Amino acid sequence: MTFNIHGGYLEAIVRGYRAGLLTAADYNNLCQCETLDDIKMHLSATEYGPYLQNEPSPLHTTTIVEKCTLKLVDEYKHMLCQATEPLSTFLEYITYGHMIDNVVLIVTGTLHERDVQELLEKCHPLGMFDSIATLAVAQNMRELYRLVLVDTPLAPYFSECITSEDLDDMNIEIMRNTLYKAYLEDFYKFCQKLGGATAEIMSDLLAFEADRRAVNITINSIGTELTRDDRRKLYSNFGLLYPYGHEELAVCEDIDQVRGVMEKYPPYQSIFSKLSYGESQMLDKAFYEEEVKRLCLAFEQQFHYGVFFAYMRLREQEIRNLMWISECVAQNQKSRVHDSVVFIF
Amino acid sequence: MAQNQRLTVVPTVTMLGVMKSRLVGATRGHALLKKKSDALTVQFRQILKNIVTTKESMGEVMKDSSFALIEAKYVAGENIKHIVLENVQNASIKVRSRQENIAGVKIPKFEYFTDGETKNDLTGLARGGQQVQQCRAAYVKAIELLVELASLQTSFLTLDEAIKTTNRRVNALENVVKPRLENTITYIKGELDELEREDFFRLKKIQGYKKREIERQLASSKQFVEEQFAEKVSLQKGISIKSAQNLLSAGEKDEDIIF
Repeated sequence: MTFNIHGGYLEAIVRGYRAGLLTAADYNNLCQCETLDDIKMHLSATEYGPYLQNEPSPLHTTTIVEKCTLKLVDEYKHMLCQATEPLSTFLEYITYGHMIDNVVLIVTGTLHERDVQELLEKCHPLGMFDSIATLAVAQNMRELYRLVLVDTPLAPYFSECITSEDLDDMNIEIMRNTLYKAYLEDFYKFCQKLGGATAEIMSDLLAFEADRRAVNITINSIGTELTRDDRRKLYSNFGLLYPYGHEELAVCEDIDQVRGVMEKYPPYQSIFSKLSYGESQMLDKAFYEEEVKRLCLAFEQQFHYGVFFAYMRLREQEIRNLMWISECVAQNQKSRVHDSVVFIF
Repeated sequence: MAQNQRLTVVPTVTMLGVMKSRLVGATRGHALLKKKSDALTVQFRQILKNIVTTKESMGEVMKDSSFALIEAKYVAGENIKHIVLENVQNASIKVRSRQENIAGVKIPKFEYFTDGETKNDLTGLARGGQQVQQCRAAYVKAIELLVELASLQTSFLTLDEAIKTTNRRVNALENVVKPRLENTITYIKGELDELEREDFFRLKKIQGYKKREIERQLASSKQFVEEQFAEKVSLQKGISIKSAQNLLSAGEKDEDIIF
């Protein structure tokens, strides 16, 4: 009832942004393009116009992606500075995922003695925080935690799941995934605290995310040295698959077993039915499609924060689509364009 | 430079022998080099064919691997490239070169070998791991092909050089060295012949002189013998022809003769 007092303005803004997402007609136009300049021309008719105008040709695909990301960052910052509690915390939560990626990137880079400035340029803009450059100063993980991470919002994730011995030896990927698991669980708890429509919708979305991560981790760790226990440790503690699905997934040794497990859960059955036996390439695309569907559903209700999360994710998907299209055009693989573009509307 | 000059030598028999042996050497060398050049050309054509097929498949493979990279980027996020790069310690695929001997020409050959396992198996664990592995496989294939292509191209260039040099030598032998040697030999033979002819001529001339001397002497001695005989005969008859002749022919006045 009182949502509009604090959140009304921003909800309106975000719905306005949502209206600016590219439609199927736009994607069709873009798929017809022959060169990157055509793409630039088409995009200048959309909301991306002012960002791409000043680029000199020849245009590079990475430039297109950079500028689109820049637009997303600008919109996000605009929303963030207008937000009050608890919306501002919610918005910050959305970016912790990228922050984790950036931290892991800088830590690995420092371990292998790369230059700090280069590493900073490679970080995702949504995940930047003030003291990020000081990550490069630390010599090992303990110092890292003590000096830098303890002040960032990521601190609780490190302390919860990793003891100080583990910090040194652990494989970077395992660390990244452990952090992400802690982040998801934290986000989930926060949403539950917020209550109401937000809790409902966000739980659904986060549960999907957790399940999807569980499936991906299972599939990608088949045949590697990741033990079953380690695998189970990386699964989150919520979601449709918790706890029985996780038990079953942890013992899977190949894709067909995974499929067998997933088919017991109706929402995922439809996804897996799209794939033929033994093939898992299209699984990621199927997951993206399902995610987009659920994100669009989030906009159906009003007065909740889920729209912000949904909008950010939809934008990211759009950027992914744009990258795919421009790379296909640049590499003359127009026939593969429709393989991976996920239409939002 | 005038065509087919000859070497300046002293035209002696020894030199003739030397030149002849040099000519034999040049001919044999010419035949051998020609064979070498033919062998190299055969190899060259073979390599050329291989290069063409490899380059064509290269185009395909590079396209596939770039596309695999795009797929990986799509699924695992744009930063996957940076993540993988930062995780690398050193190259796991390395190239080493060997020397191979083709028809006498030393050609470098490259082969790749994997040095140590990459510990990147868990990249993209939560999303995109499959695509990353596929991308890696595609690029490994591309590297194999590239290494092969590099070998082929270096051998192509080296063989090309070798063939040019060999052909240059063959042509030089054929068009310069041998004609020169032949001309020199002809010249020496000519000079020797001329010397021989001179000698012969001199000999003949001297023989001629000697013969004439002998004939003249013979003729003069014959006349002398005839005169002696005639004198003897006339003396027997009571007159000396010689003196009779003298009487008649002499210019001095004899008192006894009135007219």
